[in-house]
Amino acid sequence: MEKLFETLKLAARTLKANKLRSSLTMLGVIIGVTSVILLVSIGSGLKSYITGQLEDLGSNLLMVMPGEMEVGSGGSGSMQGAGMAAPKFTMNHQKELQAKGINIKRVMAYTENNATLAYAGKKHITQVAGVTYEYPDIRNQKAVLGTFFNVSQQESAKKVVILGATVTEKLFGTENPVGKKITLSESKFTVLGVLEKKGALGGNDMDNQAFIPVPTALDTFEMDYVLAFWVQAKSKEQVEPAKEEVKKILLRTLKDDDFSVIDTKGLLSMVSQILGTLTVALAGIAGISLLVGGIGIMNIMLVSVMERTKEIGLRKAIGATPKIIMTQFLIESIVLSVGGGLIGIILGFGGSVLINQFFPAMVTAWSVLLAFLVSVIIGVIFGVMPAARAARLNPIQALRYE
Amino acid sequence: MSVLHNINMTIKKNEFISIVGPSGSGKSTLMHLIGLLDTPTSGRIFLDNEDVSKLSEEKMASVRNRKIGFVFQTFNLIPRTSALANVELPLIYAGVPDEQRKEKATKMLESMGLGERIYHFPNQLSGGEQQRVAIARALINNPSLILADEPTGNLDSKTGNQIMEIFKKLKKEGNTIVLVTHDMEVAKVADRIVKIYDGEIV
Repeated sequence: MEKLFETLKLAARTLKANKLRSSLTMLGVIIGVTSVILLVSIGSGLKSYITGQLEDLGSNLLMVMPGEMEVGSGGSGSMQGAGMAAPKFTMNHQKELQAKGINIKRVMAYTENNATLAYAGKKHITQVAGVTYEYPDIRNQKAVLGTFFNVSQQESAKKVVILGATVTEKLFGTENPVGKKITLSESKFTVLGVLEKKGALGGNDMDNQAFIPVPTALDTFEMDYVLAFWVQAKSKEQVEPAKEEVKKILLRTLKDDDFSVIDTKGLLSMVSQILGTLTVALAGIAGISLLVGGIGIMNIMLVSVMERTKEIGLRKAIGATPKIIMTQFLIESIVLSVGGGLIGIILGFGGSVLINQFFPAMVTAWSVLLAFLVSVIIGVIFGVMPAARAARLNPIQALRYE
Repeated sequence: MSVLHNINMTIKKNEFISIVGPSGSGKSTLMHLIGLLDTPTSGRIFLDNEDVSKLSEEKMASVRNRKIGFVFQTFNLIPRTSALANVELPLIYAGVPDEQRKEKATKMLESMGLGERIYHFPNQLSGGEQQRVAIARALINNPSLILADEPTGNLDSKTGNQIMEIFKKLKKEGNTIVLVTHDMEVAKVADRIVKIYDGEIV
């Protein structure tokens, strides 16, 4: 133990004597570790944000989408064909589901289109969602100004609109939009209210939307069908029966491959699987830079052994055993890699805190631990060869080396 | 094809001998054998009545550490490392604890007249000073034998003489010294001169 501490001090002294070289060598590992931690933190931040958003939708929620979609159990799923097929859903389906489903609490029809919104000379192109009056309850998102539309406004296809926070800001600035008339796809709409802020997801601003009743949307955008249904089961236990019910009811008028029913659980496992893979891929790419850093260490240690051949000969002459020389050089490379690793962890941590201001990022314990362990292992692996070479040197030849 | 043959010599305790010979004569090989940096293909070497001719590498390192003090022509101090740390090095390998080491090394450097320079790096010292640091390092473990290989070879004659005065003093203090040189003037300082030619003592 005493000996190891001495060797450690000896290594620190040597590295300090070559400050520039040591820090440049460490830089490789620092960049590697920082990027591993940073990229993994972005990956896991994104994952937890998206799953959080999905859980926000409510766990009792089913989505009915056009086309065939498979969500396998156990997390393996594919999105092939999802939303690709033309929808064949009508408001009659919605009424039927609502009326006949025993396990179904409510059914919301959903459709969307891009449209130009204009007010007092200001124009804003954005996504307009056709929804039903239950939307605020299902999304758990209240109107902060004015109100959402009610069932009678919906049934009579009134030209009313509820704006997201971003849309409000773009068109009205600080002005209160409630009661104002805006132009939406060449028709006049009355603004009923403004929804509370939900925040941005990556570059996708969830508040940059406007909401109108589904029947109004079908008229305005000249659509024959709605895009999807959001079905809320009465309880968690009734999600599966509700799913079967939805299928049974829809199959009366639709073909098997016209629609698919997915629950948020399946969607969650699919999304977390995709993002999990993404995170691992990002970590792998960053890992390559860590490997390059390790090769940098080996390179410098080999040069160092060459350059210090005479010193090694001298050390051997005055009593250093091959083991001592081996340990000395090995510890030097480990100090380099671990030092780089620690600095990288601090930078990665700081970096992800900074990124988190703009984008969901979350430092995970496993990435820190992994980065640290890998940097230790790199120090050992890439240090062994140069150290063994130093230990094997013949003292007579080493002393003669010029 | 042997470099050395028929070598039979004894170095007594507190003896100061010089080994002289032209380059290629085998004197370097003889010095490496005496210094336990090399092992003989045949024949035996005794140090303090112990057969040291067939030791393992680890054992040889340990014997070199405790019983032999090397002084080289090119000083061979570790660069960017203080005089004190250089002198401490054999003590580190001998496992002497930190405080004792510092004290011993400082005293040794003071006895070499380098008390003011213990924290200087080799490149901040003159050639003579560097060689005195090297001698301090050779003496620090109180060795049975001091092995000096052309210790004045890289020094001007005045500084060289000063170094030779140190060796004379060390002999008086009871040390055993083997000096390897090709310079007869330097060799004369010793009690006895061993001449090597073509791998044999002549």
